[in-house]
Amino acid sequence: MRKGRGLRTYTIFYLIFLYAPIVLLPLFAFNDSKIIAFPLKGFTTDWFVALWHKTELHQAVLKSLIIAVTTAVFATALGVFAARAGTKYRFRGKGPVLGFIMLPLVLPDIIVAVSLLVVLLRIGMGLGMTAAILGHVVICLPFAIAILNSAFSSLDQSLEEAAYDLGETPFSAFRLVILPLVMPGIISSLLITFTISLDEYIIASFLVGTEETLPVYLFNQMTKNSREIPVVLALGTVLVLFSILLLGIAEYFRRRGIARTGGKDTGGFL
Amino acid sequence: MTPNPLIDLRAVQKYYGDYHALRGIDLTIHQGEFFSLLGPSGCGKTTLLRTIAGFEDVSSGVVMIDGKSMEGVPANHRPTNMVFQSYAIFPHLTVAQNVGFGLRKDPRSKADKDKAVVEALAMVGLAGYGDRAANALSGGQRQRVALARALILEPKVLLLDEPLSALDKKMREQMQHELRRLQRQVGITFILVTHDQEEALIMSDRIAVMFEGEIAQLADPQTLYRRPVSRRVAEFIGVMNFLPCEVTQGAGDAIEVNLPGLGHATLQPDQCPSGGVPGTGSVGVRPEAMSILFEGEAASGQIAQAEVVEVIYYGDMTYYEVRFDAVEAPVTISMKNIVGRPVLERGDKARVSWDARSLVLFC
Repeated sequence: MRKGRGLRTYTIFYLIFLYAPIVLLPLFAFNDSKIIAFPLKGFTTDWFVALWHKTELHQAVLKSLIIAVTTAVFATALGVFAARAGTKYRFRGKGPVLGFIMLPLVLPDIIVAVSLLVVLLRIGMGLGMTAAILGHVVICLPFAIAILNSAFSSLDQSLEEAAYDLGETPFSAFRLVILPLVMPGIISSLLITFTISLDEYIIASFLVGTEETLPVYLFNQMTKNSREIPVVLALGTVLVLFSILLLGIAEYFRRRGIARTGGKDTGGFL
Repeated sequence: MTPNPLIDLRAVQKYYGDYHALRGIDLTIHQGEFFSLLGPSGCGKTTLLRTIAGFEDVSSGVVMIDGKSMEGVPANHRPTNMVFQSYAIFPHLTVAQNVGFGLRKDPRSKADKDKAVVEALAMVGLAGYGDRAANALSGGQRQRVALARALILEPKVLLLDEPLSALDKKMREQMQHELRRLQRQVGITFILVTHDQEEALIMSDRIAVMFEGEIAQLADPQTLYRRPVSRRVAEFIGVMNFLPCEVTQGAGDAIEVNLPGLGHATLQPDQCPSGGVPGTGSVGVRPEAMSILFEGEAASGQIAQAEVVEVIYYGDMTYYEVRFDAVEAPVTISMKNIVGRPVLERGDKARVSWDARSLVLFC
């Protein structure tokens, strides 16, 4: 017991440091004051009402959703191809190729953003939502592949052979056997990449041009207009709840996938 | 009944890069036969099975099934079905959906197909298990589902890739008998891949023993056990003692050999698979083909003197290691523990009776 005390104290402080700001978010979102400071004044839902009436905000949310959904679909689809190739086939240069795809995971976003900006302007493609989607697919793909790889590699290779053996073509075997078994991984990948894209700021701010996404809009509001801060906190509260919900769903599907293929849980993100 | 050839392999070669997995396999498997491919791991037996199933292309040579060349015919169009080593039960489906999986393109009505599934499950002893989740089954039950799923399609050939290796000993023995019974019942040709020589002997009509991508011997179980063609086959199938010998006369119908410490023997040509060449060689003899003579027991053949150096008591049997005069390596002899027969102790003298007909000469 004595031995663990230091580490336990450290863990408690660590968790407070990590989550206290997030707890403060809803606290001040319901606080009846424009100044973010203790003591709290009183309970109000005014900031949420204000949120409801901001049309530019709604525009930003809509754009962010379009970008996030498109990014999630593309990154996951490409991820399925890569994970399938990576787990099923042996080919020359497989290691380097897969390593190269995973590179954006460790590459600073700012570098991805700057290089994409330079290239896109150079080839004459304007900035906007398409550019932001491109950037987001680049950074989301490694996450999609990591999730899908574990889904595909936990499959017994002979399941697919058994389907061929029982008369199915490669396509129908994929549809009837592989796809249902990796579906939890696909849903999990869709949700994660959606979440990453939705709150991504750096790449979006470089590439969207005048079409502000939600994070870009929020940042601009915070820096230009301090009176809006409680409204932003209200929005933050909504977003936190939404994110927790999404992550929860993603984790549920990931665990169900592991249970389905009869594998052992090696720990996830929740 | 003249055997009807069903599978014909001619000069089949398979390379994986530089690795030569199959080195010219010529093999004919007959209609309705229980055939085993037996060998140590890496001998190419599974590769051979997979070339028949269509999961591997041959590098050269011909695979014929029922008179048709299988070149370019993918697995889903071959008249074969397979029971995989891992069983490959689809975990997201029920037992009935697994068994009926191959009937998807069957033109029969749904009611007929459901009936076929029920019958297939009953055949493998899983009647009433149809609605269970495939994940909730034990190893032995999965094995049965895999069998039902393959047999429901009434293939010309059922391929079994080490199907019993994942089961515990008791379950394995039970399944060996059940597989054999099932094969007689449905009359379908079974090809079994196994590394377990006992399993192959128990179940098969014929066995091909494979080493390093080649068939070392192709024979029925009795011939394989009694007359192995090489020392290596003899060592792989059961236990065999090897005694040094001197071939004094090699040619003709009678091969004369001298066994130091035991005596003299005359062998028939079928006891000398590699022919008899005068000079030194070795003679193989099974542990049960020699016996220790106890009081009141009559010899059947010749008698030699030996000393007991080790006793291993198995309950129903006792295995003795004995040393003959002038023979350095001990020889294993198995004796049934019949009523009234004592168990000897180490250091006891023993009279060993042996018969020239049970010997096999390897040069």
